[in-house]
Amino acid sequence: MRVSGTQVSNQTDEAALIARVRDGDQAAMAGLYDRYSGIVYGVALRVLGNTSAAEDLVQEVFLQLWRNPQAFDADRGKLAPWLAVIARNRAIDLLRKRPMEDDIDELPISTGVNLEDEASQRLAISKVRGVLGQLPADQRRLLEMAFFEGLTHTEIANKTGEPLGTVKTRIRSGLLALRKAFS
Amino acid sequence: MKEHAQYADSLALYAMHGLDDEREMAELRQHLDSCGECRRELEALRADVALLALSTSGPQPPQRSRERLMQAIAAEPRIQHKHKSRFILGRLQPRWLRLAPTLVAVLVLIASVALVRENLHLRDTRDRLARELQDQRGRAALAMEVMQMMNDSSLPRMTLVSAKNVPQPQVKTIYQPQKGHVLLMANNLPLLPDDKVYELWLLPSTGAAPMPAGTFSPDSKGSALMLHAMQDGGIQAKAFAVTIEPRGGSPTPTMPIQFAPAG
Repeated sequence: MRVSGTQVSNQTDEAALIARVRDGDQAAMAGLYDRYSGIVYGVALRVLGNTSAAEDLVQEVFLQLWRNPQAFDADRGKLAPWLAVIARNRAIDLLRKRPMEDDIDELPISTGVNLEDEASQRLAISKVRGVLGQLPADQRRLLEMAFFEGLTHTEIANKTGEPLGTVKTRIRSGLLALRKAFS
Repeated sequence: MKEHAQYADSLALYAMHGLDDEREMAELRQHLDSCGECRRELEALRADVALLALSTSGPQPPQRSRERLMQAIAAEPRIQHKHKSRFILGRLQPRWLRLAPTLVAVLVLIASVALVRENLHLRDTRDRLARELQDQRGRAALAMEVMQMMNDSSLPRMTLVSAKNVPQPQVKTIYQPQKGHVLLMANNLPLLPDDKVYELWLLPSTGAAPMPAGTFSPDSKGSALMLHAMQDGGIQAKAFAVTIEPRGGSPTPTMPIQFAPAG
């Protein structure tokens, strides 16, 4: 899953699509939507647990990308992880009823993982699920509470009865396990 | 990360916005500002977090969602951004709300211009009042000086006339009818014997008999200054006249009249 010769070609395609979106090309925007709406929708649905709210969030994320494509710097990262993290953060804001004007200035994210076509995405998703499946259930639960429920470490500690330090350490080690699987 | 182990566990939660201890976050941010190694670790953790998001992929949004988006972007006026700006998310807002910053800026500009104009106007008013006060002070000082000079009989006085003419006697009166005060100023008057005085007469506008308005004697240079108060105020005067009377004055004028109004 590391960057390869084929991926360079795919990366060029993504950069070209974004450049066309910047020029107001609606077909290019449709292309980005077809590639990444599943990732955005999946995150939104997992966090919000409501298909209607998840659809609205997908609209919101892609419409903002159309309005302001310059917010994403294609030279510094990949669009898929960037959209996924923005969708997650926004969904958590909605879930926790944070102010609607809240804005997100998320930096580009470079995962080194190819996510630019459906087959690559399926492969990566399968791998992530495999790693999470290998984690102890209580550690996986800690990651889910932090990432998909947006709980803070203090809230997680209160909820699970685990010491604060243990919560932090187990969440980090769970993330490192994911990293190791893709390295 | 070995030497930064105390921050390592916190960085993972920081990447997920999961820290809630303000002091701890401030300390971590301060450390990140100066530690490239921890910044790189944070970037790696953000990538790990993004991988976590992928675990949820699978369900696809309904087709209507795509159509809805395409209709929305077709209706959007395209704004070309020349610079990278923040990716702002929130509930889809009315378009007019996006003009709010511009409107606020215009209102602030208008208010600023109005304040500047008001400030300039106040400065002008202050300067004008200062000039008027200065003028008033100057005029008051001048009036005081005039009064002092006129009342000081020791000051040398002279009337300049054509060298071919002999200086002519001259009597001036100023009358304040409400108070009944008469101010008399005379020059070049002929000197009188010791038993005679000049007497001023007020000729009422009603045609009544002349009323005594004070006696006076010129000094050695023929000058005289007299301020006389009538017994009653409110008498309207048609004219004044001067006669020569016995010292102590007379109840009625003795002819001939020595001085009368010109013309």
